[in-house]
Amino acid sequence: MNTFSLAPLILYLPLAGLLFNGLIGRGIVDRNRPKGERLVGWLATLMTFSAFIVSVTLFISLATNGFEAWFVPIMNWITIPAANFTVNWTLQVDTLSVTMMLVVTGVGSLIHVYAIGYMHGDPDFSRFFTYFNLFIFFMLILISGSSYLMMFVGWEGVGLCSYLLISFWWDRLDKNGIPANANAGRKAMVMNRIGDFGVLLAMFLLFWTFGTLDYKPVFDGAVELYKSGQVVQFGGVGVPIATVLSAVTVLFLLGVAGKSAQIPLYTWLPDAMAGPTPVSALIHAATMVTAGVYLLVRSNVLYEIVRDSGALLFGLISTPDLVAWVGALTAFFAGLIAFSQNDIKKVLAYSTVSQLGFMVAAAGMGAYVAAMFHLITHAFFKALLFLGSGSVIHGMEHGHHEIAHGHDGHGEDDGFDPQDMRYMGGLRHKMPTTYVVYMIGALALAGIFPLAGFWSKDEILLHGQTHALLLFLILALAALGTAFYVGRQLIMTFFGTPRHAAAEHAHESPPLMTRPLVVLAILTILGGLLNVPYLTAAQAERHEMHPQGFWLLLEQWEEHSIPAIELSEEGVVHLPHTPVVFSPVVAGLSMLLALSGLALAYLVYKGRPKTYSEPDRLARTPIWWWSILPLNTLYMKYFVPWFNRFAAWLAFKLDGEFWHDFVHDRVIRDLFVNFADFSSNVLDAQGVDGIVNGAGSVTRRLAGVLRLTQTGYARTYALAVFLGAVGLLVYFLFMAN
Amino acid sequence: MIHPIPFTLLAAVAVAAALGMLTSRNAVHSALYLVLNFMTVAVLYLVLNAPFIAMVQITVYAGAIVVLFLFVIMLLGADLLRGVTDEVRGSERYHRYLAVLLALVLLGVFGYLLLQNNFGGTTLSPTIDASPQALGITLFQDYLFPFEVTGVLLLASIIGVVIFGHTRKRGKENA
Amino acid sequence: MPSAVDINWYIALSGILFVIGALGVLLRRNAIILFMSIELMLNSANLLFVAFARHLGELEGQVLVFFVITVAAAEVAVGLALIVAIFRSKKSINIDEINLLKG
Repeated sequence: MNTFSLAPLILYLPLAGLLFNGLIGRGIVDRNRPKGERLVGWLATLMTFSAFIVSVTLFISLATNGFEAWFVPIMNWITIPAANFTVNWTLQVDTLSVTMMLVVTGVGSLIHVYAIGYMHGDPDFSRFFTYFNLFIFFMLILISGSSYLMMFVGWEGVGLCSYLLISFWWDRLDKNGIPANANAGRKAMVMNRIGDFGVLLAMFLLFWTFGTLDYKPVFDGAVELYKSGQVVQFGGVGVPIATVLSAVTVLFLLGVAGKSAQIPLYTWLPDAMAGPTPVSALIHAATMVTAGVYLLVRSNVLYEIVRDSGALLFGLISTPDLVAWVGALTAFFAGLIAFSQNDIKKVLAYSTVSQLGFMVAAAGMGAYVAAMFHLITHAFFKALLFLGSGSVIHGMEHGHHEIAHGHDGHGEDDGFDPQDMRYMGGLRHKMPTTYVVYMIGALALAGIFPLAGFWSKDEILLHGQTHALLLFLILALAALGTAFYVGRQLIMTFFGTPRHAAAEHAHESPPLMTRPLVVLAILTILGGLLNVPYLTAAQAERHEMHPQGFWLLLEQWEEHSIPAIELSEEGVVHLPHTPVVFSPVVAGLSMLLALSGLALAYLVYKGRPKTYSEPDRLARTPIWWWSILPLNTLYMKYFVPWFNRFAAWLAFKLDGEFWHDFVHDRVIRDLFVNFADFSSNVLDAQGVDGIVNGAGSVTRRLAGVLRLTQTGYARTYALAVFLGAVGLLVYFLFMAN
Repeated sequence: MIHPIPFTLLAAVAVAAALGMLTSRNAVHSALYLVLNFMTVAVLYLVLNAPFIAMVQITVYAGAIVVLFLFVIMLLGADLLRGVTDEVRGSERYHRYLAVLLALVLLGVFGYLLLQNNFGGTTLSPTIDASPQALGITLFQDYLFPFEVTGVLLLASIIGVVIFGHTRKRGKENA
Repeated sequence: MPSAVDINWYIALSGILFVIGALGVLLRRNAIILFMSIELMLNSANLLFVAFARHLGELEGQVLVFFVITVAAAEVAVGLALIVAIFRSKKSINIDEINLLKG
C-alpha cells in the first residue's frame, strides 16, 4: 500500500460528480436556482479539484520514488482465453501522465470555477457540469491508461464530450435559421472520425505485430524487433519492423491531425467555438486538443525507431519529418488565417491550431519535452485568453442588454455580435482586470520575455534551428504571424475608442470569473520557470553528469517517461541533438519577431477600424487572400453539399427507396410473406401435414395389411415360430459360413 | 446294446403310435396312442441304461399326464370333441401345405446332418451307474438348486391351476 | 447292417417323432391333441437326452430329463386347466375359435 494506490481516485471522483449531477443535478437546480447552481457547480469543481490534489500526491510520490512508472491495476476488462488475450484496465502513473493529469485537473479546476460564473442562469446548468465532469473523466482515462486501447477509450470519450459540449446549445439557430451549434458539433464529430479511423488501423497493426496494446510491451517489442532486424509476418509476407512502424506512425498522425486540429483536418476547431467559452478554454485549447500531442510524445519510441531506420513513406519522407512538416505548416497557415478573423474567439481558435502546430512540429523533430513544455504553457495562457475573451463577451452582452432595456430602449438591430471585435474597442477602461490578465496572456502567446510562451516557443525554435533550416524559417514566420494577430486583437479589443454602444456600457465580469483569470495569469508569468535552459555551455557541462536543481526541470522530469532518450544513449535510436543551452541569437530573433509583429499590428491597426462597418485595412492586400487556406472552403463548398447530397441519397434513395421500400418491403417482406404463405399452405399443409398424416395413413394401411397376419389363431403363430426355427436352423447350417 | 432289428421294431411301433395319435379323429384314441408311444420310448430308456427315467416316464407321462388328458376329455365330453373338424377351408390349405413342407424340410435337415456327420460311430461309452441311487446323489448334490426351483415351479403351476379352476359363484358371470 | 445301433439311430428316431409332434401342433385344431403333440415333442427331446447321456457316459442328461418331465407335468396341468376354463366360456375347444387376439 502506497500513495500510488490513490490513483484510481482521479477517475472515481469525476465519475461520482458526473453521476450526481447527471442523475439529480437538474432537479436540484430547478428546485432552488441560486443554491442549486452553487451546489452543482461547486460539487463538480470540488471533484475536479480533488482529482488535482490526488494528481499532486501522485506527483510527490513519483518524485520521491525515483520517477519510475507505477502500474495501478483497476480491473480486468477483456479476457479471451482462447486467444491468450487480456486487456487490463491499468493506470500508468509516470512522469508524462502525471504532467498531463496536473494540467488537466489544475487548469480544469480553474475553468470549472470560471464556468460557475459564466453559466449562471443557463437552463441547462447541471447538464453542462455533468458533461464537464464526464470530459474530465474521459480525459483522465485517456492520459492514465497503460495501453493504446485504454487511451482510445478516453480518446473516443473526450470526442463525445467535445461533440456534446460544442453543440451544448444545440437548439439555437443563427441569423439564417441554421442550427449552427449542432452543425459545428457534427463537423467536429466527422473530422474526428477520420482521425480515429487512423488510430484504429494503427492499433490493429500494433496488435497484429506485438499481440498486445500495452505501451511497455509494445515499445519493448518494437525495440527488440528493431535490434534483431526480424521481420513481421503479414500473411506470409515479411515486412521490416520499421516499415510497419512507419504505417503505424503515419496512421497515428492522421489521428493527431483529427484530434489536435492539424492540416488537413483542422477545420472543425474554429467551428467548435460555437460551444460555451469555458468549453473552448478547457477542451478546445488546454486539454483535449493536446491529446494528439500526448499520443505523439507517448509513442516517441515508435517515431524514433522510424527516424533511425530511415524508412521513408512512399519513398518521400519519414513519418517524424512528416509530423514536423504538418505541424510547421499548420502553425504557419493557421496563424495567417487568424489575421482575417473578426470573431474574438475565432482568432483564438486559429491561434490554438497554430500553437498545436508548434507542439506537433516539436514532437516531429524529436523535441518531445519541448512539445510537452509548450503544451503546458499553452494550456495556461490559452485558457487564460479564452476565459478572458469569455469575460469580454460577457461584458459586451451585458452592455448590449443595458442599452436594449435601459437607456434608449428602441432596440436597434444593427447585426450586433458580442463576439465580433469590430464592435469592441477601448475596453481597457471598462474591464481593467480582464484587460491586464488578457494582456499577459496575449504577450505570452506572442512570445514576449519573460512570460511562459517565450520560453517554450523559444525552445521549439531552438530545436528547429538545429534540425532543419526551412522548418525553422516557417516556424519563425509563424511566430511573427502570431505576434501580429495578437497585436491586432489587442488593439481592436482593448485600445482605441468604443465603436458600439455595447462596448461603452460594458462592465467588468464578476469575481467568480476574474479570479481564475488572475491565477492563470500568475501561472502564465511563472510557467517559463518549468524548463529554463542553461545559460552557458560551461554550466551545461557542469550539470551534464548530475542534472539537478533549477535548470531544465521539465526535461529531467519527463525523460523518465520518454524511453527514446535512454535508447538514444544506448545507441539503439538516434534522437536528434537536444540543445539545452540558451541561445542568445535564437532568443533575440524570437523576441525581435514578436516585437516586430506587435509593432506591425500597431502600425496597421492604430485607431482602426474607426467604425464597426469599416473594412479591414488588410482586406485588399495579398496576405489577406493567402490567409484563406481553401480547406475550410473546400469543406463547406464541396464536401458539405456533396456530403449532404450523399447523405440525402443515402437517406432517401438507399435507405428509403432501396433499403426500406425495396429491400425491406419488396424483397424481405414479400419474400417473407411468400415464404410464410408457402410454409403455411404448401410446406405445412401439404408437406408437414402430409408427412404426418401420410405416416398415419401409411401405418394404418400397412397395419390393415399386416393385421391380416395376426389371425389370432394360435396355430398360425405356431407355424410362424416353426418357420422361424427351421429357417434359422437352415441358415446356421448352410449359410452362416 | 440293442440289435438294430429289435430297435427298428420298437422305433416303428413308436412312430406308428405317434402317427396314430396325430391322425385319430377320436381324442381318446389319440391319448391311447400316446400311451403306447410313451411305453415304447420307456423301453428304449431301459435299453439306454436309464431305468429310473424309464420308470418316471411310465408313471408320470403314461400314467399321470395321459390320465389327466383322458380325464379332461371325459370331463368335457368326448362327443363334443368330435365336433372339432379338421376340414380344409380357403387359406387354411396354404397353412397346411406350408406346415407339411416345413416338416419335410426339417426331416431333410436331420437326414442331411446324419449323413454328413457321424455323431458317435459305433462305440458307445461304457455303461455308467445310472441307478436311482446314483441319480439321486447327482440330483441332490450337484443340482439341488435347480431341484428347488422346480419345486417352486410346480407350486406356481398348482396355484395357477387352482385359480383357473375357480368358478365365481356369486356376482359377475363374465368370464 | 451294423451289429448294434449307435447314437445316429436314436437321433433319427427322435427327429421323426419331433417332426410328427410339430405337425400335430400345426395341423390339428383340437386343443387337447395339440397338447399331446407338444408332449410328444418333449418326449422326443428326452429320448435324445438319454441317448446322449448313454453315448457320452454322463449322468447329467438323465437329470435334465427329470427336470423336463417335471416342467412338462406342470405345463400339462396348467394347459389343461386353461382348456377347461376356455371351454366353460366358449363351449368349444376348437383352437381356431379362440381368436380374440385377431388384429
